[in-house]
Amino acid sequence: MSPKAVRLWLAEALFGFVLLVGCSILVARWVGGSGWSWVPGWFADDPWLLPVVLGVLTTPFLIAEPFVRYAVHRWELSGDVVYTRSGFLTREWVFVPVSRIQTVDKAQGWVERLLGLATLEIRTASHAGSSTIKGLDYEVAAGLAEELARRAEELRDDAT
Amino acid sequence: MTEPPSHPPAPPGPEGSSPIPAGPPPLLPPPVPGRAPLRLSPKVLLIQPVRMIPSLLLPLVGLLFVGGFSGKSYLWAAVGVGVTFAIAVVRWAIFSYEIVSDRLEIKRSLISRSVRTIPLERVRGVDVSTPPMHRLLGLAVLKIDTGASGDAEEGKLDGVTLEEAERLKSVLLRRTRAARAAAHSATASGETISPSASDGASPSVTAAGPAAPPRASGVAAEADREIISVPWTWLLYGPLSGAYLLTPFALAGGAVGLAFQWGDDLGFGRDAALTVGEWLWEHPYLLLAVVLLLVVAMPVVGGVMYAVFNWNFRLTSRDRYLVAERGLINRRSVSLEARRVRGYEIVEGLAERWAGVARVWAIVTGLGDTQTRGQLLPDVPRAVAFKVTGEAIGSYRAELRPHPPIARNRRLFRAIAPWLLPAAATALTALLTAEAAWWIAAVVALLLAGTGIPLGLDRYRSLGHGYDGVRLAVRSGSLRRSQAVVERRAVVGWHLRQTWFQRRAGVYTLTAGVGAGKGGYSAIDVSQSQAIGFPAEVTPEWLAPFMEKGK
Repeated sequence: MSPKAVRLWLAEALFGFVLLVGCSILVARWVGGSGWSWVPGWFADDPWLLPVVLGVLTTPFLIAEPFVRYAVHRWELSGDVVYTRSGFLTREWVFVPVSRIQTVDKAQGWVERLLGLATLEIRTASHAGSSTIKGLDYEVAAGLAEELARRAEELRDDAT
Repeated sequence: MTEPPSHPPAPPGPEGSSPIPAGPPPLLPPPVPGRAPLRLSPKVLLIQPVRMIPSLLLPLVGLLFVGGFSGKSYLWAAVGVGVTFAIAVVRWAIFSYEIVSDRLEIKRSLISRSVRTIPLERVRGVDVSTPPMHRLLGLAVLKIDTGASGDAEEGKLDGVTLEEAERLKSVLLRRTRAARAAAHSATASGETISPSASDGASPSVTAAGPAAPPRASGVAAEADREIISVPWTWLLYGPLSGAYLLTPFALAGGAVGLAFQWGDDLGFGRDAALTVGEWLWEHPYLLLAVVLLLVVAMPVVGGVMYAVFNWNFRLTSRDRYLVAERGLINRRSVSLEARRVRGYEIVEGLAERWAGVARVWAIVTGLGDTQTRGQLLPDVPRAVAFKVTGEAIGSYRAELRPHPPIARNRRLFRAIAPWLLPAAATALTALLTAEAAWWIAAVVALLLAGTGIPLGLDRYRSLGHGYDGVRLAVRSGSLRRSQAVVERRAVVGWHLRQTWFQRRAGVYTLTAGVGAGKGGYSAIDVSQSQAIGFPAEVTPEWLAPFMEKGK
């Protein structure tokens, strides 16, 4: 992975964080100001507790996630098999033999474009046998996509 | 645009076993010479308007009631019927199909023109079904499975005569094979595939097989070989499958909805329906009786539905295709190319396991609508299911390996905890509020948690995976236990997954990616050595580079 991937994951985590806290502020104001009978008194008095608690709870994850992901995420192409490892709380390992690859896509979101990164999507006939490599340097992704496509063409086998 | 709005009906050309009588002949330019596009049977014209009747009926009834029995409302009604019929005629007239050398072309041409071309070598299966209306008129719906994703890519001929459907089926499937044989080997010379009219016109199902010419590619043409014909007594297993059990409720719901809708249109209004509802609500015993009646009706109606759909189930092997036929009213025949069948899935519900019966689905690459098309066997005794799948596809010959004991704890926890939590919560509220209702809720939740114990244990017993050198198998589930058996060559990748909880327990979920059926079949909670060892055993050449380095 490119070291810049840390920034990508941080940006994504921040986006989620802002969304979560923003929504919780809205919910807290709505519920706190509604005067419904089932709302406990202590909450109606201090509705700002909800976003604060949520924020405090998720901040460690926000900070840890990019670094853990950077430590976990790996990819390797050897012996015509693509191996990827990814995950934060849930780990995933995917083995895809190049001979079974159907398409190789590279994609860039706007954050990725800013950082010069790309995502490589390796697809086979099955969703369970398809893998996605995030946070590659654009040149690396382009080169890998090129190589995989070429090898897949050579090794094409029509069993599926 | 000088495009002809439609082609005149086909003269009996070289393909011409089609018994199309001269339909309403549009006075139009002569057809392109040398071409003989075929039409759907004109009898299909009767189906479309009849199908539209329900949607037409309501405004019609309204018109008759509101507008009285004046001539005007009749006129409107006549206009409505006339318009639907006219639409049906136009649809019929602009639709044509033909087999041109090695492809099937389906054309819709009025002002704009759309031609769908299906190369015959792409045809993976043919699905012929006869919905009730079609059945009455001796027609069938023919769907051509091309392995493309999405329904829009399929060829569909809605309303060909039964003879024409049989003819098309045999021509399509045989030509498919010929096209492939020609493509794969140059030895196919001298082989002529002639769509003989006598072959096509034969209404008997069995006539198509023996008429097949011998293959030059060395594959002996196979006559129709019946693998199994399910005796009607086995239809009694139907209610055990749990299929269609909710039909009575759906019917009741539909009736209530219809009453509301029609009540409005017929003049007695929504209020009347609401009053009836209120009256029922005030007589809860009556309501309870109705619900009980529906519940009692569940297995009966479900069984009847099952019998109607699976009536006279026959599985035959014909000319390298597996053909499954079933149904009483809607007789459906699905042809699956044997070459594309990658394995099968044996499914048993709890009641079915008690009775020792099982259902089987085929795992086929590029098959759309797997749930209905892929069905290989309805409920049959387990031994028969294994024998038949072994004969039709190939049996799995190895023991399933159990998963590590820690998987049992996880199954138990997952079966019990969801009920234990509400039990604790309700018990706490009961203690605080001292209300009897909460105690009852707590006891119910506890009982449900108790049933989780045998359920979890059984789920663990179901877990297993194995490999016999050709096929791999994975099994899981208790209320719906399913065992998937897939050929090794169908595996396109391995996916290993470990949630945070699984990491604590040291187990993994291993999924074999398969380019057929559901796309992936999982072995749940395997140990670390199994998670690495199983892929290495099935596909050693893929894993070898990583094995020496370790994970």
